Amino acid sequence: MRTFRALLIVAGLALTGFGLYGVLTDHYIDFADHPFDVLRWAVGGLLLHDGLWLPLVCLAGLAVARSTPVRTGLIVAAAVTAVALPAVLRAGQHNGNPTVLPLPYLRNWLLVLAAIAVLTTIWTVLARRRRRAGEHP
Amino acid sequence: MDLLRRPPLPTFRSALHEPRTAVVIGRWLGAALLTCFLTGLLSHLLQQPPGWLRDHLPSRPVDGYRVTQGLHVISGIAAIPLLGAKLWTVYPKLFEWPPVRSVPHALERLSIAVLVGSMLLELFTGLLNTLQWYPWPFPFRQTHFWLAWLAVGGLLLHIAAKAPLIAAHWRRVRPGLAQRRSFLTAVTVSVGVVTLTTAGQSVPWLRTLDLFAPRRPDIGPQGLPVNRTAAQAGTTTAPADWQLRVDGPRPLRFSLAELSQLPQFSADLPIACVEGWSAGARWTGVRVRDLLDLAGAPAGAGLRVTSLEADGPYRVMEMPSSYAHDPLTLLALRVNGEVLDPDHGYPARIIAPNRPGVLQTKWVTRIEVI
Repeated sequence: MRTFRALLIVAGLALTGFGLYGVLTDHYIDFADHPFDVLRWAVGGLLLHDGLWLPLVCLAGLAVARSTPVRTGLIVAAAVTAVALPAVLRAGQHNGNPTVLPLPYLRNWLLVLAAIAVLTTIWTVLARRRRRAGEHP
Repeated sequence: MDLLRRPPLPTFRSALHEPRTAVVIGRWLGAALLTCFLTGLLSHLLQQPPGWLRDHLPSRPVDGYRVTQGLHVISGIAAIPLLGAKLWTVYPKLFEWPPVRSVPHALERLSIAVLVGSMLLELFTGLLNTLQWYPWPFPFRQTHFWLAWLAVGGLLLHIAAKAPLIAAHWRRVRPGLAQRRSFLTAVTVSVGVVTLTTAGQSVPWLRTLDLFAPRRPDIGPQGLPVNRTAAQAGTTTAPADWQLRVDGPRPLRFSLAELSQLPQFSADLPIACVEGWSAGARWTGVRVRDLLDLAGAPAGAGLRVTSLEADGPYRVMEMPSSYAHDPLTLLALRVNGEVLDPDHGYPARIIAPNRPGVLQTKWVTRIEVI
């Protein structure tokens, strides 16, 4: 275990150092003249995720996601939204290349959210019925 | 010691903010990120091979790059819900008190900040690149490449720091936590849904489920997507006196009619884009190795191919010998039986097996033997 950890640390430091060296010296990134370009986006992402998104998730967990079906539905809906939202926002903007973003993304997104809502509702009703059946056999 | 008294930090009620959940999700996430990293590295090596590697790149398997780059985007998209679930699970650790216990602990927390910051930006830029959307001020390709090393370096350091905890929770302890099972099910379903609704851009049999991918492999001129259109490249109309120049020991020039007089060959080859989509087609044209022979090129010669496009980072492309001599590598004049659409490179384009789409040069005007 000790050797394994030591190897991981050496490799981790080497890769981190290599990445840092690349970010700092790549002349397209031009860190010397634009030191805050990448930094601002990396730190900004961290702050938005940990300072805004996760508190919202935790609040949603306290306020609405009380049952397993609702919690599952919200998790899947959040995942779908994270992946689909850029396409929904960007639909139609293809810089003159109509083969980029050719689908009706807003419609597809709403359809998938609706499907998740329907399945969550069915699951909730079934679970409630099963519980009631258990209470009054 | 008032300074060390715990301020009113948030408390967390869920029983799932615990190591076993983090270990299970961490394993899936680690597998996705490692796949993403290795396939991405391969893509960079294929696109810009270092000198020592250039002559050893194989032109087979035909679908190699299609599979690896498809996997790159699939694993990257799968990592989005996994990273979300992982960060939620360990969120209370952000508020641990005291914030720093020792120098190693401070360094560990710093490395986690680097890991999470680079990972979030890496997945974000990667996803948006598949849409050709660049709202940030830095160059995509270089930043995405270097951040990957930071992210994977941070990941290795993280695994090293947590190794005893990971080992202690590697195996399931029965009875399992019911909440954990339902959370892991929700995460699995999330990964399944985002994969199934986007992977159709590279996996043919998932095409009908393609709801959110930025491409559909059958939408485009002649049923094929395009990375850069003729209008974007300024090559909508080829010059009336277009000729292919082949510069070798025996310099040659061919008009389009003369090219079509040469022996024609057909090959089923995919266009596999760095953005993850791929589409197969039947290409017909002149074998590149036949052109090399006509030009008197020595065995083992490579090529430099120049496009009509006025600018763009891939206007000039170099092709190592292994690709140039592959019998499937064509200077294609037709696709799926039709003359090439300007968007697909009329009058002639390169199509080779196992190569990134940006190196399948369109609107070819000159081939040099090197």
